[in-house]
Amino acid sequence: MDFFSAGLGLACLSFVLGFAWRVHGRPGSRLPAASEQDRRKSGLAAGLVDIILLRRTLRTGKLRWAGHTLLILGFLPLLFLHAMDGIVTRPLFSGYEPTLEPWQSARNALGLAALAGLGLLVWHRGRRLRAFSRVQDWALLGLLAAVLLTGFVLEAAKMASPADFERMVADFFPEADGDEFIALQAHWARENGVRFERFLPTAPEILEQGRELHEDRCAGCHAPTATAFASRTLADALPAGAVLPRTMAPIFWHLHVGLAFLVLALLPWGKFLHPLASPANLLVRGGRWDSGFPAAPPARNLALEACTRCGQCSLHCSVAPSRRVLGNVDILPMDKLADLRSWLDRSLDGARLADLVEGSHVCTECLRCTQVCPAGIDLQDLWISSKAALSEAGRAGVDGEIRKRTAGEWAHELASRRLGKVGASGSGLADHAESFWGCVQCTTCTGVCPVVAVSTDPQRDLDLTPQQIMNYLRMGLKAQTLGARMVWSCTTCYKCQEHCPQGVPVADILYELRQLGARTLRHRGKP
Amino acid sequence: MRYAYFPGCKIAHHLPAHGLSVEAVCDRLGIGLERTEFACCGYPVRHESQDAAVYSALRGLAQAQSLGLDLMTPCKCCFGNFQHARYQAAQDENLMQRMKDLLAEEGLPFPETVRVRHLLQVLDESLDAVSQAVTRPLRNLRLACHYGCHALRPAAVTHFDDPLGPTIFERVAAATGAVPLPWELRLECCGYPLRGRDESISDLLMAKKLASAATSGADVLATACTYCQLQFGQGEGRTIPAVLFSQILGLALGLPPEDLGLAPDAPWLGRLEKE
Repeated sequence: MDFFSAGLGLACLSFVLGFAWRVHGRPGSRLPAASEQDRRKSGLAAGLVDIILLRRTLRTGKLRWAGHTLLILGFLPLLFLHAMDGIVTRPLFSGYEPTLEPWQSARNALGLAALAGLGLLVWHRGRRLRAFSRVQDWALLGLLAAVLLTGFVLEAAKMASPADFERMVADFFPEADGDEFIALQAHWARENGVRFERFLPTAPEILEQGRELHEDRCAGCHAPTATAFASRTLADALPAGAVLPRTMAPIFWHLHVGLAFLVLALLPWGKFLHPLASPANLLVRGGRWDSGFPAAPPARNLALEACTRCGQCSLHCSVAPSRRVLGNVDILPMDKLADLRSWLDRSLDGARLADLVEGSHVCTECLRCTQVCPAGIDLQDLWISSKAALSEAGRAGVDGEIRKRTAGEWAHELASRRLGKVGASGSGLADHAESFWGCVQCTTCTGVCPVVAVSTDPQRDLDLTPQQIMNYLRMGLKAQTLGARMVWSCTTCYKCQEHCPQGVPVADILYELRQLGARTLRHRGKP
Repeated sequence: MRYAYFPGCKIAHHLPAHGLSVEAVCDRLGIGLERTEFACCGYPVRHESQDAAVYSALRGLAQAQSLGLDLMTPCKCCFGNFQHARYQAAQDENLMQRMKDLLAEEGLPFPETVRVRHLLQVLDESLDAVSQAVTRPLRNLRLACHYGCHALRPAAVTHFDDPLGPTIFERVAAATGAVPLPWELRLECCGYPLRGRDESISDLLMAKKLASAATSGADVLATACTYCQLQFGQGEGRTIPAVLFSQILGLALGLPPEDLGLAPDAPWLGRLEKE
């Protein structure tokens, strides 16, 4: 089996196996069903327009749109008409030869367009998305660029290659005598840029003989190599008299074809799938910008795969300021989506699961990521359903963790720890005696509290009342208050604080205790 | 009048009618809204982190200040957190410095001068103009105005109105021709902050308020906060309908219900026609 068949076979095998692995298990079915499914029909036509015109990509920036458009307009024809010419172009166009016009100049123009598109995308990523970029983002851009560049170098090397010339003459003009051979060589060296090792005659009559032989024997399959304008320029850029090693064209053929196979083999992995998954998702979304349709498991599976890692959601995320303060990458949609995918595959635990849970709770469900996503992913639906799924799995965020144990159990665990103050310096109200000096235990705070008022037995339902919490803190018993239901079921209405005759900032202190609880949990298990 | 319009996070998906009606009303009254891409006000993350909540708010204020505009929000919780963040930073030197550093990294100034306005304040400031713009006085409509905690308290921080006897909502409501009624629990919490955290207490607080509003004899409970409306919307059909004040005002300004995100067949709309 030769390199081409073996490479193609392996690449296809990797693609099929990888794709099967990627879609196996249908993680979308592990998310709870949407409460009310929107049954409005999606617009197939609108979805097609989104795909063909890259309409959603345009909304995220002209540069990204131009990059993608150039890349797709260049790459797709190359894929079908050039890479797959044996099964597409040859049957469709009688007399097709890759070395004839218009194929030669078209190939160069398409390759340059694709390279220009890649250039714009690399520039955009470096300028705006560097912070979000991982290896696979650069790898995809790099690999495509490598396929295109090796293609140009291969074409240039073949043009200049005396070995290829000799092989062609042996195949198609085997009866050539010595003089004819030299005349043809002279013509090809002069007109088509072949670089022969030895000096060739330049006499006009010999060149004329070479031209006639060329017309007779070669021109049927060979347009002037100058029509492959980019590759010919590349070949001519070598210093006059320089001769390429005879192995150069074969080496670049293996590189070019091998890299193309590598891209095919990698297609199911990571964001390499997005050229397939994103359009599929756009089609399913049918041009819709809102959330909730369709939220069936197959649509969610597709949504989970369609991310292009373009970073637009993270750039526009409403809680990006919280991400800057808290430092958790899973607060931003793009990374959260990847970790959600892993969690649904049951391969996420420990600190990264804690990050996912926190990110999931910091999200305000503002819909912006869904509206900005150029792949049309209904992220909003994924966030709402995954928050419910995480809670179902016992990961309900800080509140859920605290409520797993009683106030007494928390007091026992926290008693031996230095809890610290809130915020890096924090106003530390709960630690300052000044905060409580005025408290005379008059019970006004408890009396006006609406949460206490709806409880028939505050001691049972809430562990402590607001004024008891103030008293505990006055005595330095912060650990005893941190798990109290009153702290976590405070509705933050600030009546206690407004009504306190002594100006004790009761509600601010309860806020502070919750912030301290959140920080204590965040650092639990971390050194 | 032109404001940097801060809708807050919940409007786009959870309560589009609020955004629709606020924009329609402002358009009709000639209140200019500058739309810019704001992030979250920081209120939702306040349980978890003071720094994150304060920074989120100051960043929004700094954006508005850079536009040279005051910030206007129709949400009481956003309003409250903006005021709270500035107060906190002013109280705590270290916090202030951390915030200034974070803002500087984004090339934003510390927002010293920008004012935070709630929609009700903006309307109250030009009450005569609002009254004059009313083309369809809602004389048959009796309202129970629900205040919303985070704008009202703590008054020393929010500077919204008298925390024990506020009148701003009733003043603005009366301009529509509707009749605001006194009711017992008008200053109490709607219970939304406990959604997803303590559902049973959240339900109890909501039910108690709706019952109180219903016994006052009001036709609708009027809200002026995204979160309050989301909360009372969950009690829809139980006792008394909750309606956004921007929708009520929109009707009084002669706007059709559809432009305000209202279902034209909502039963309470029938009240407007009765004599």
